[in-house]
Amino acid sequence: MSRELTRTLAAAIASVGVVGAMHAHAQSPSRPPDAGRGAVIAAQGVAPRVPACAQCHAFDGASEGSGAFPRIAGQSTYYLGKQMRDFASGVRTDAVMTPIGKALSTEEVADVAAYYATVASPFLPLKSGDPTLVKRGEQLAQIGDESKHLQSCDDCHGPGGAGEPPAIPYLAGQYAHYIAFQLQMWQRGFRKSSPDAMEYIAKRLDDRDVAAVAAYFQQARTATPPAQPKE
Amino acid sequence: MADLTRRFMLKATGAIGASMLSAGGAAAGTRGSEAASPGGARVAAGASPSIYVFLNREEAAFIESAVARLIPADAKWPGALEAGVSNYIDKQLAGAWGAGERLYRSGPWRPGTPSQGYQLPFTPAELFRAALGAINRDLSQAGTPFARMSSEQQDGYLRRLESGEKNLGGVPSDVFFEHLWQCTVEGFFSDPVYGGNRSMVAWRMVGFPGAYASYYELVDQHGIHIDRAPTSLAEDANGHMIINPGIPAKSP
Amino acid sequence: MAKRLKPVDVVTIGVGLTGSLMALELARAGLKVVGIERGAPRFTVPDFQSPAIHDELRFSIRKAMMQDNVKEAVTFRNAPDQSALPIRRWESFLPGTGLGGAFVHWNGQSFRFQVADFIYKTHIEQRYGKKILDPELTIQDWGVTYAELEPHYDRFEYLCGVSGKAGNIKGAIQPGGNPFEAPRARGYPTPPMKEPYFGALFREGAATLGYHPYPQPSANLSQPYTNAEGLTLQQCVFCGFCERYACEHFAKASPQTVILPVLFKNPNFELRTNCQVLRINLDSTGKKATGITYSDAAGAEVEQPADLVLITAFPLNNVRMLLLSGIGKPYDPKSGEGVVGRNYCYQTTGGATVFLDESINVNPFMASGANGTMIDDFGGDNFDHGPLGFIGGQYVGAIMTNGRPIEFHPTPPGTPKWGLGWKEAVARHYNHTVLLQQHGTSTASRLNYLDLDPTYRDAWGLPLLRMTFDFPENDIRMSQYVADKVVEIGHAMGAKTVIRGGTKRPYTTTVYQSTHNAGGAIMGDDPKTSVVNRYLQCWDVPNVFSIGASAFPQNGTYNYSMTIGALTYWALDAIKNKYLKAPGPLVHA
Repeated sequence: MSRELTRTLAAAIASVGVVGAMHAHAQSPSRPPDAGRGAVIAAQGVAPRVPACAQCHAFDGASEGSGAFPRIAGQSTYYLGKQMRDFASGVRTDAVMTPIGKALSTEEVADVAAYYATVASPFLPLKSGDPTLVKRGEQLAQIGDESKHLQSCDDCHGPGGAGEPPAIPYLAGQYAHYIAFQLQMWQRGFRKSSPDAMEYIAKRLDDRDVAAVAAYFQQARTATPPAQPKE
Repeated sequence: MADLTRRFMLKATGAIGASMLSAGGAAAGTRGSEAASPGGARVAAGASPSIYVFLNREEAAFIESAVARLIPADAKWPGALEAGVSNYIDKQLAGAWGAGERLYRSGPWRPGTPSQGYQLPFTPAELFRAALGAINRDLSQAGTPFARMSSEQQDGYLRRLESGEKNLGGVPSDVFFEHLWQCTVEGFFSDPVYGGNRSMVAWRMVGFPGAYASYYELVDQHGIHIDRAPTSLAEDANGHMIINPGIPAKSP
Repeated sequence: MAKRLKPVDVVTIGVGLTGSLMALELARAGLKVVGIERGAPRFTVPDFQSPAIHDELRFSIRKAMMQDNVKEAVTFRNAPDQSALPIRRWESFLPGTGLGGAFVHWNGQSFRFQVADFIYKTHIEQRYGKKILDPELTIQDWGVTYAELEPHYDRFEYLCGVSGKAGNIKGAIQPGGNPFEAPRARGYPTPPMKEPYFGALFREGAATLGYHPYPQPSANLSQPYTNAEGLTLQQCVFCGFCERYACEHFAKASPQTVILPVLFKNPNFELRTNCQVLRINLDSTGKKATGITYSDAAGAEVEQPADLVLITAFPLNNVRMLLLSGIGKPYDPKSGEGVVGRNYCYQTTGGATVFLDESINVNPFMASGANGTMIDDFGGDNFDHGPLGFIGGQYVGAIMTNGRPIEFHPTPPGTPKWGLGWKEAVARHYNHTVLLQQHGTSTASRLNYLDLDPTYRDAWGLPLLRMTFDFPENDIRMSQYVADKVVEIGHAMGAKTVIRGGTKRPYTTTVYQSTHNAGGAIMGDDPKTSVVNRYLQCWDVPNVFSIGASAFPQNGTYNYSMTIGALTYWALDAIKNKYLKAPGPLVHA
């Protein structure tokens, strides 16, 4: 357990430092991020315009499993923070997240990111996808496809899709519906982050391959961090 | 922050040996084997979880003590011995490199100029065997096996080898030393899949993130501090190392 | 008795960069082309995928992608009065093998040569007089000019999708580019790569000294790009495993990414791998090749008759193939007669190590093979050599390609070579050190040449190539001059300590420097001083062409892949439009 703890915690803690250094994209927070304050925002939102994150993402970040809302537990603070900024700036658009991104302050984003990066969260017992689809997804994830000019997802997304913090998110355990939806958003040009990598790759995936990687990663597993580090 | 990382890393050093045997990976907290510590050079010789397939006991004793002086442990970071460098060297000597892969092995053999590089007929396995045999005979005749010398005496002996002072069964001792040092650096810094760099301690020491490497988002954030735990090419999503199961990693 | 196959139109000896390009164009022209590759086939998926490819021990240290010395090495000596001995392990240069050749695991550094490079003898003598040349130097003009090659450089750059910022478009100097570069018809196909921190630090330091920093042109692309063949490259992610490694992301220009998928669809082309070519067969006149003989994967000897034989095997192997086949008169350094093996050159490299304050996180592991920032102020003949007493120059830059720790663990002067002090210094300086590169001209000398070794043989019983080489004194003086300039730049970057670079004699095969071996089958206008004419056609055997850097009479300042690509297109142009219509000598000397 301590190895995973090392990796995700070190990433989470380091990412906090990273957010501080990363003023190219946002104002530096004026104080170090506070996961405790982040937990409060997650639980009750920020009156009057920001609903509780927990309403959709659950207090433990596992969301509710339908894939309408992504699992965010254990995602790096850098990545969580960047998504909020992307919603605020229009690089990503979502009817619910865009106003939230715009309403939260730099400090609040950092706090919530620090909270969700370290929250303990189980994987929901969801039905597995069609085994042939999962197998195809595994191939794309671990090996790629020469005929489609596709490298393996894990090249960037880390061992078993565990992510490559701080900048590249985990896919292991992410909900199939959400993964498929984001790939479609890239295919249609609505999601403007990572245009030369993810948009390019998404456009080379046909519908079956999208379903395959989605099904594969939903059932892939990685360790999740505990709520607080223990010695 | 560095302290935290080190504490976890030290726990993992003990845990890794066990988790190598069962990829299922129960919580490391139950392992309880906190064998490694910063002053590990003195401890780890007994705790070294390796089966040697090439080195005999005498050879292994020399190699362990030698690498412990070449890259010693200190208060901040483990050294080559704790990192499993002797295991790395053993597995390399037992494998294709030791047997002479990628070495032009036709004669005639003649001494060359320094510019002409290595010109001996020995494969690495033959070279180590000849040299270690000569060293161990030499020292046991003198009544001072290397492993029982003080650190200062060991350093002094290594420096004499390094200077080329001795001929070790046909191997000039500086050539042996060069091979030993190169192997030590490789064993310290190579991917843990090869049996050294245990728990990626060497990568943590310098801050090298390892085998998974995709930095487009970060490369132009000049000066950014990257502190993520390194990744080995041998690990799965749960951080378990999947290494050649044919080579047991723990002493019975 | 060798099995004899049915004749084909063209055979290429090697299917690397030059072989792939030749095969593509000639198969498209309707010819039956067989590509004979001694190594194995390999493809981006699955062979180049991460994480397995990101294995420093396997690929950098054990050299897994390189030619296997067990079967075939090269012998070496610094001077003709020494005995050559085998290079038993590759270190100084790393010949590739396998489908795609060294263009699979190159660094993507994509420069053009300069105008003066192609008329080097004429240019130097006009500017400085013959007296500036040390007596042993044998520089020559190429027989082709930069202007003639320019459209072919353009075509090759656009095949590869090179990322860069032009510095000179049709004579108009462009801000942000290299003001010293040879004039181009148009800009690069894709914009320059992102600049890593070490490049930015170099740029600031170099600019304060009045130099002209510019982004290194790169075949690891800055953005997705589709070339004229319809093949698409992706964006480089700065993984730090470029040279000696293949790219998992389809982001590095290689035969696999820019040529082969199209070539393999052409029914006129046939690939044979794991086949070692033993010789080119000549008819009884000795002036016409009848084809080649090779040893296949199972060791059987096979004869492949062909009308046209293209030696596309990497410079050293090109020269060896000519010597083994008896094509052209071998060079004799004593008499100065003969041409095959003459004017062997290398690359003059080295550089400084700049130790910075520990607050500066360089993060060298975030790097690509060609993401450098550099200056050409000391390249080639870009500065006045009159008072200096040497010719040639080097580019200078911060061109770090990796932070792989077995290869990269710099320590300042005075650090013990091992032990606790060494370890502490490594930990302390790893992330706060920049390497500056000096990379430049290698001047031809009558003392440096290639021939066949009298003693050592390969696994097939054929003599190894023998290399006789040391850096000419001229090149030593040149690199020492530039080394002082580099130290100044290091200090301008804020260095706490700088370890000075500069090349010294003797050249050693034990430390990596460059794989830009060149010459030995040089091009020119005079068959007495060249092996091939300006179209890379052998003077002695007109249906054999020798394609590659073996044709360079001397080596220029820059990495030479783009120049090889341009020369290949130039030769192809002559083959398609002249030779095929009227086979025979294209140049009458």
